[in-house]
Amino acid sequence: MASKLSTRKDLFPGALELMVLQTLKRKPLHGYALVRAIQASSRDLLQIEEGSLYPALQRMLKEGWVNARWTTSDTGRRVRAYEVTLKGLKHLSGERERLGQMFEGVRLVLAMVEP
Amino acid sequence: MNPFERLRGRRNVDRDLADELGAHLDVRIEELVGAGLPLEDARQQARRELGNETLLIERGRDVWRFAMIEDAWQDVRYAWRQLVRAPGFTAVAVITFALGIGATTAIFTAVYAVVLQPFPFHEPDRVVAVGEQFVTGSLSAVSPGNFEDWRTHAKTFSDLGARRFVSVNVSSGTTPERLVGVAVTASYFSVFRIPAVLGRTITADENRAGRERVVVLSDRLWRRVFGGIPAVLGTTIRMDGHPYTVIGVMPPQFDRLGGPEEFWIPVVFTPEAIASHDGHSMYVVGRLAPGISTEQAAADLSIIFHRMKEQLPANTEVRQGIVNEFAAEVVGGSRERLLVLFGAVALVLLIACGNVAHLLLARGRLRSHEVALRASLGASRPRLIRQFLSESAVLAVAGGTLGVGAAYVAIPALLAIAPEAIGAIPRLDQTTVNGHVLLFALAAIVMSALLTGIVPALRASRLDLRTSLSDGARTLAGAKDTLRSGLVAGEVAVVIVLLAGAGVLIRSALYLQSVEPGFDGTSVLTARISLPEVGYEEPARVERAFRGLVERISQHPAVDVAAVSSSVPMTPGTNHNGLVPEGKAFDPSNFVLGRLGVITENYFRTFRIPLVAGRLFSVEDYREAPRVMILSRTAAQQLFPNENAVGQRVACCESGPDGAPLLKLVVGIVGDVRSNGPHAEPPADFYLPIQQAPAYTWSWFQRTLTVVVRGKTEGTGILTEALREAVRDIDPTVPVHGVATMQQRLQATLAENRFNLVLMLLLGSIGLLLSAVGIYGVIACFVAQRRHELAVRMALGASPADVVRTVVTHGMRPVWLGAVIGLTAAVALSQTLASSVYGVTPRDPVTLVAVVAVLIVVAILANLLPARAATRVNLAGLLAG
Repeated sequence: MASKLSTRKDLFPGALELMVLQTLKRKPLHGYALVRAIQASSRDLLQIEEGSLYPALQRMLKEGWVNARWTTSDTGRRVRAYEVTLKGLKHLSGERERLGQMFEGVRLVLAMVEP
Repeated sequence: MNPFERLRGRRNVDRDLADELGAHLDVRIEELVGAGLPLEDARQQARRELGNETLLIERGRDVWRFAMIEDAWQDVRYAWRQLVRAPGFTAVAVITFALGIGATTAIFTAVYAVVLQPFPFHEPDRVVAVGEQFVTGSLSAVSPGNFEDWRTHAKTFSDLGARRFVSVNVSSGTTPERLVGVAVTASYFSVFRIPAVLGRTITADENRAGRERVVVLSDRLWRRVFGGIPAVLGTTIRMDGHPYTVIGVMPPQFDRLGGPEEFWIPVVFTPEAIASHDGHSMYVVGRLAPGISTEQAAADLSIIFHRMKEQLPANTEVRQGIVNEFAAEVVGGSRERLLVLFGAVALVLLIACGNVAHLLLARGRLRSHEVALRASLGASRPRLIRQFLSESAVLAVAGGTLGVGAAYVAIPALLAIAPEAIGAIPRLDQTTVNGHVLLFALAAIVMSALLTGIVPALRASRLDLRTSLSDGARTLAGAKDTLRSGLVAGEVAVVIVLLAGAGVLIRSALYLQSVEPGFDGTSVLTARISLPEVGYEEPARVERAFRGLVERISQHPAVDVAAVSSSVPMTPGTNHNGLVPEGKAFDPSNFVLGRLGVITENYFRTFRIPLVAGRLFSVEDYREAPRVMILSRTAAQQLFPNENAVGQRVACCESGPDGAPLLKLVVGIVGDVRSNGPHAEPPADFYLPIQQAPAYTWSWFQRTLTVVVRGKTEGTGILTEALREAVRDIDPTVPVHGVATMQQRLQATLAENRFNLVLMLLLGSIGLLLSAVGIYGVIACFVAQRRHELAVRMALGASPADVVRTVVTHGMRPVWLGAVIGLTAAVALSQTLASSVYGVTPRDPVTLVAVVAVLIVVAILANLLPARAATRVNLAGLLAG
């Protein structure tokens, strides 16, 4: 794929949140680290824009899917790290299932043999 | 977190976000420096990647608020500050809105009271007015026989009730009083399903002779005459000399059905009356059976007629039943005319909105710098639109509140314009500002805010930074005039529609004023005199009393000439008979329905109704003399087309000894009289001398005739006294009621017409004024923007006249367009006025031309002012400034 997908336009609503939850499931991360982690796990296919990430994080805080606390990073910086909550995990698994079905459905339709 | 904690936590959210973004930048810079970038470059790149920090913080904060309300509140406060800073603009906009919304709300209160307000009884849409189509083809009252047939056979009604208006003399206290009530069947009350609030209503048993002396009082009468005390139940009232026992009092809502009646007594149908199927006197109301439509009910009644036809006497044949919604019957044509007014006032509101929209546009232009700046500082487009809308909303709310307040005060004044209008338009007296009206006002405010706000908001938010900051005023000037030109064209179109309507109504009113009524009513006083039944059972006695009254009053020195009549123009108490020329079968298909006037000799002299042919009545036309009649020109024409009617004979009104209809000799023809008012065609009148009045007519008239007195001078005050004196001399227990000069009666007939006219004139003037201000505003703006260009032109040798021509030509362009659109719309909408105008077609070309001419003159004037200002522009001053 020549161009990267941007989180602002190219993803469906809620996708960013799911990726953030999935990423945080492994370990708590601060904002910039999250950008990096998602970029890395998508093998650079996805570019997370800060303009989308930070409001999304606020939304997730409000929903209670993540917690945030100020902590010190590996390099000794004071950063705000996010961790996923139980509620967040539930949301993630529910949405994963729903997404799985949706993708499967789309896949089946697209796989239809043309007459 | 509850909302309050959230609000308190706001500062923390902001601070956390700011810190967080700072940390983000630090980490990124560190990384970039680690990759070998110089610190300054790294810093810049990190910032670029992160984007607008303030916006991010704002968006993060947005997540936490009940964003809508808080934004709205903030926008409103901001808008308020902006508006306070521009008091002139704000005042004009608020007053414009106040005019538009206030007027619309005021008219809506009347529309609500008369048209929309549900009638105060159970399922009002199921209650219908039922009539029969007898001879004339229009809805007429029902004969008792037909009513009984319907009640017995109709399956489409769950209840049918009949009523007939009665008026009685009641002697309570010193002066006898005349009261209007209705005689009803017991079922009348069950149609409306309103029980008595005290006591009970009439029972079927009381609709029989001998049991009928009971009365149910209205709330109004109960409070007015009986002090509102419950002890009134069981007491006896003397009505027309007979004792009636009070059995019940109805609740106030029963007074709001739109009729004048104040009491209810049982109606009694004699077996003869039922059998004859004649005497179409009953007004029938019904409640439709569940699931039945008015059409089905009408069809049902017509089928019953058809079945009964063979059993009916020939001259009572009815063609079909007519079923209309009760509400439509009561409100009648007022509904349409009020809706026309409402349409007109909505147009005024539209013009007002146009003006405010233009003001906002002009302001938007002045503020383009500010807007561009705010946009560049991170205000999002929806946010900017919201802010502009808030401004128009604040204006609309302020104006609307002012307007509704004014309407609240003005409605009594509005009704005072034409006190007769209250009598002419049913339920108009119930006009008040209530919850529904306030809801409507709110809707009008919201709509006005949206209409005026959305265009300038979208427009202003589309500005982009570069054009605007690099001196927008000049670059924007010519480019986007379409929007404002569109506004002008729209306003002109709307105002033409409005003025065309007002103009046609004015022409109609002038026509009605100029119509010859067919009689001379100046210095004529009229009054209704009702003789009681007790003591006046004999027709000869009634006749003697009335003749005596006329004689006595004629002797008064102030009186020129006097008479009595059963039927006086624009006065209640009309009766109709079928007339058939001699030689034709006495059958409804040959009927000319004539309006009966039983008169004394000097009736025509009193009203100066001209004798066209033959002679007038004289004392020679006594009871036993040959039966005679006088026809109006129209009646003569209808009975004897292209023949001389005088000397012919006409069958009507009563049977001779052989049972055949009695023939009466036509002795004279008199001029036509527009008895139903100047707006109606003259009816076919026929007159009988009082001595020869058929005996039954006295019960038709309920022994009530109208006295008409012509004074020797203009003043009629002395005549009233003379009349009262004369009546007292004849019988002191007889009340004089319905005293009015002929002039007053004429005015009362035109009351609704005048009410509509005054309002349309008012609305038309407001509309014209508003649109003139609007056109002026647009052109002034145009001149202001182009003052550099105009100054340069003049410096290069253009004369002031050239400049004026340029400006006016430009300014008139949208006016021409609007005029064409407005004319087209006015013609298309003209039919809505059809029921309100007389003597002129609704698409009257004279009016349309006049309206367009007035508008164009006003538009040119509105253009000239700023155009002349443009010629005074001084280039040197401009360049220096």
